[in-house]
Amino acid sequence: MKQISAKDIKDLCCGAAFLATGGGGDPYVSQLAAERLLEKHGPANLMAPEEIPDDFNVVSIGMVGAPTVTLEQLPTEDEAVKAFDAYEQQTGRKIDAVIPFEVGGGNSTIPLTVAAVRGVPCIDGDGMGRALPEAQMMTFPLYGVKPTPAVLMDSWGNSAVLHCNDPLTFEKHIRAMAVAMGGMISSAEHGMTGKQASEAAVPKTISFATKLGQLLRNHNGSIDAIESELISLFANTQYGAVKRLYTGKVVDSERKIIGGYDVGSAALQSFDANLEPMTLLIKNEYLVAKVGDQVVASVPDLICIVEQETSRPLNAERMRYGQRVAVFGIGCTHHYRTEAALKVTSPRAFGFDMDYVALEDIR
Amino acid sequence: MKIGIDVGGTHTDAVVLSGSEILATHKALTSADVKEGIVNALDAVMFGASLKPSDVSAVMIGTTHFTNAVIERKHLSCTAIIRACLPTGTGIPPQCDWPEDIANSLGNHVYSIKGGHTFSGDEIHALDDVEIRSVIKDIAHKGIESIAVAAAFSPMNPAHEVYIANKIRAEIPNANITLSHEIGRLGLLERENAALLNAALGSLADTVVSSMKQALIERQIDCPFFVSQNDGTLMSADYIANYPALTFASGPTNSLRGAAMLSQISDAIVVDIGGTTSDVGVLANGFPRESNSFIDVGGIRTNFRMPDIMAIGVGGGSLVSADGTSVGPKSVGHRLVTEGLVFGGNQVTATDIVVAAGLHSIGDMQKVAHLKPEMIEAAGDEMHRLIDDAIDRMRPSDDPVPVILVGGGSILVSQQLNSASKVVCPEHADVANAIGAAIAQVGGEVESIISYSKIKREDAIAKSTQEAKDKAVLAGADGNSLRVLDVEETPMSYMDDNAVRLRIKVVGELKQLVES
Repeated sequence: MKQISAKDIKDLCCGAAFLATGGGGDPYVSQLAAERLLEKHGPANLMAPEEIPDDFNVVSIGMVGAPTVTLEQLPTEDEAVKAFDAYEQQTGRKIDAVIPFEVGGGNSTIPLTVAAVRGVPCIDGDGMGRALPEAQMMTFPLYGVKPTPAVLMDSWGNSAVLHCNDPLTFEKHIRAMAVAMGGMISSAEHGMTGKQASEAAVPKTISFATKLGQLLRNHNGSIDAIESELISLFANTQYGAVKRLYTGKVVDSERKIIGGYDVGSAALQSFDANLEPMTLLIKNEYLVAKVGDQVVASVPDLICIVEQETSRPLNAERMRYGQRVAVFGIGCTHHYRTEAALKVTSPRAFGFDMDYVALEDIR
Repeated sequence: MKIGIDVGGTHTDAVVLSGSEILATHKALTSADVKEGIVNALDAVMFGASLKPSDVSAVMIGTTHFTNAVIERKHLSCTAIIRACLPTGTGIPPQCDWPEDIANSLGNHVYSIKGGHTFSGDEIHALDDVEIRSVIKDIAHKGIESIAVAAAFSPMNPAHEVYIANKIRAEIPNANITLSHEIGRLGLLERENAALLNAALGSLADTVVSSMKQALIERQIDCPFFVSQNDGTLMSADYIANYPALTFASGPTNSLRGAAMLSQISDAIVVDIGGTTSDVGVLANGFPRESNSFIDVGGIRTNFRMPDIMAIGVGGGSLVSADGTSVGPKSVGHRLVTEGLVFGGNQVTATDIVVAAGLHSIGDMQKVAHLKPEMIEAAGDEMHRLIDDAIDRMRPSDDPVPVILVGGGSILVSQQLNSASKVVCPEHADVANAIGAAIAQVGGEVESIISYSKIKREDAIAKSTQEAKDKAVLAGADGNSLRVLDVEETPMSYMDDNAVRLRIKVVGELKQLVES
């Protein structure tokens, strides 16, 4: 079994920030907390999806709420572990393995710390293969996994148990509970069998993000120099095609908060004067990229942006005029390519009046 | 008449200003002794402007002492931190990400206790007197007198920090206490770090301030003196003894502000071209644009109000490749005067190119006569491309902006810059820092998280503006001269639709100057 130790965390966080497609916030605080816990409790074991015994009891663990709150209410060392324990107590069953909601931001490291503290494996995979803002967008419910019972835990040790009829209601209720419980909470949810997890999880994303982060961090120079290495890293993964969509500088960035989302758009201008500008539509993550009027990539495919000269992933909150960036389109995992999946993850699910067109089908 | 003095790492600059008129300037190497350096600077400019001590209405001093102390880990006091946030925050204890050498300089006296507030204003936990007493007893027992106090969400509600400070004073009367809400912004970890550095600099601040005072006494100058902060505003001498960390990066800020005054342009890009690098900063409304990312001070993550500066590797001493297509980032730096071709050395530098192109006559022109015209042209183009590129990245939009050149390396720019609407090279730009110090105003700033569902936007802004004005008056501003410099609203994602982080900043003239 592979392991993730404290020294891997910076790479994992960098790779996860790339796959987070602009979302996930500043990873510094969660990175620091994860490094400390893994140093104290030793490395976490990573279990590949194909290794999971069919009858395993797998539970997804992560944080829900406003990242801005954690600027002041710094993370509590044992909150996610308490959610894990309370979930076992609530359901009367031992948890055999944990799995991340998403690969992106703090949610890629929290399950690893719980795994290290409680001595269970963490599945090398996640419920998105990227970052997305809402619970019904995870792959788990698309494969018939029920989000509840879910056990919510706040920093004070208060807990709540949710039972919801459907994933959309769950998303609505857990969001409201997060505000009531101090702005940011830990949640143990989406209990599933090993068999379900091996089908529903986007496989190998934790080890992949670590390798990806290692490539970007070790290089720390122009993305042009490692583009072919980056592309070959994505070969033989669950991700689809990788395309360099655009290279240019940020010429406009406009944002507002609507319905709890960081919503807006950004414009990029190529150094090639013959190319039309690129427009990015943003709701926490980069969701749609157009060149002129032509859509060149759309959610659930990944739109990943790095600073051209440092190869570091660029968070949507940090985007501003003058930055030189390279934009990559990456085909999403097959999990999102069904009609049911696209219903909750395509541009229409975010309120954009356009259909998803797979990156591979765009000329 | 005002005197501005900027004590940098290498040079000490001084100016005398009457209104906006420059009466005298002076530049000298910085002396090891603080008092002596200031006395020398005072003597030089007062002689230059034929001033009597009684003509001086205010003295403004900018200093790098405190930044250097942190970077060099010198003169730092043993300091304890009390963080009130439990039960939250156990995942990241105070100082856990500090470099070992500076953590050791402060002694690793870390205490976390129950307390602090949430974003909605409730207490995270009530303070526990028994717990507080035992922490203070331990600190007193260790003989530590520098203490930083940080509570969660204290910029919105400082009550817990203030309560703890009162308890400390009762037990340790001589304590030098820094409360995090007085010097930092939202971001507990970064604000707590800032408070720790500030507390650790307390005794050095006492020494430096008394040396400055002593210099004025020796020259019989009996007027208020002020120290410049990194946001381009002033604090009184008594204030700086308590808030030395607010001087971090005041040098670049003063340089930008000075450039604004010299050129009479308040919205521009300022390019300060030195020997090795060019520092590019942005003036908005006469003040530096602040960096929106975390600031590393001596390896410690802070969120001070620092100017947003981009440094590129182009300066007067930058090395030029044989074909001229590459300039910098390697540089001969201050050895330019011995290693550059025109000075008899054997390195081709950016300065040599300017001389070879016939744009300036410096040193021995014969020494660059052999350089090929294609090479001179290529190198000239490359320097301009690099500088133009940096301006383009820093300008706020795609529109061409006025560009102000300061610093000894400004001779490198002779051609049109595409991103510039015009390029100005004001007189006295070599003492822009001291001018920036001399013209600084007094400011006040308030930051809070507010839900516009609970309080109307106009009311919230009005209330915060008043609080900021009260702060500025307390810091020595004339109430009638105050103007709102900046209203910044940052929406908070995933919270209720109307929650924003609201930051308001006001500035005004010094009360003494308005009255005199």
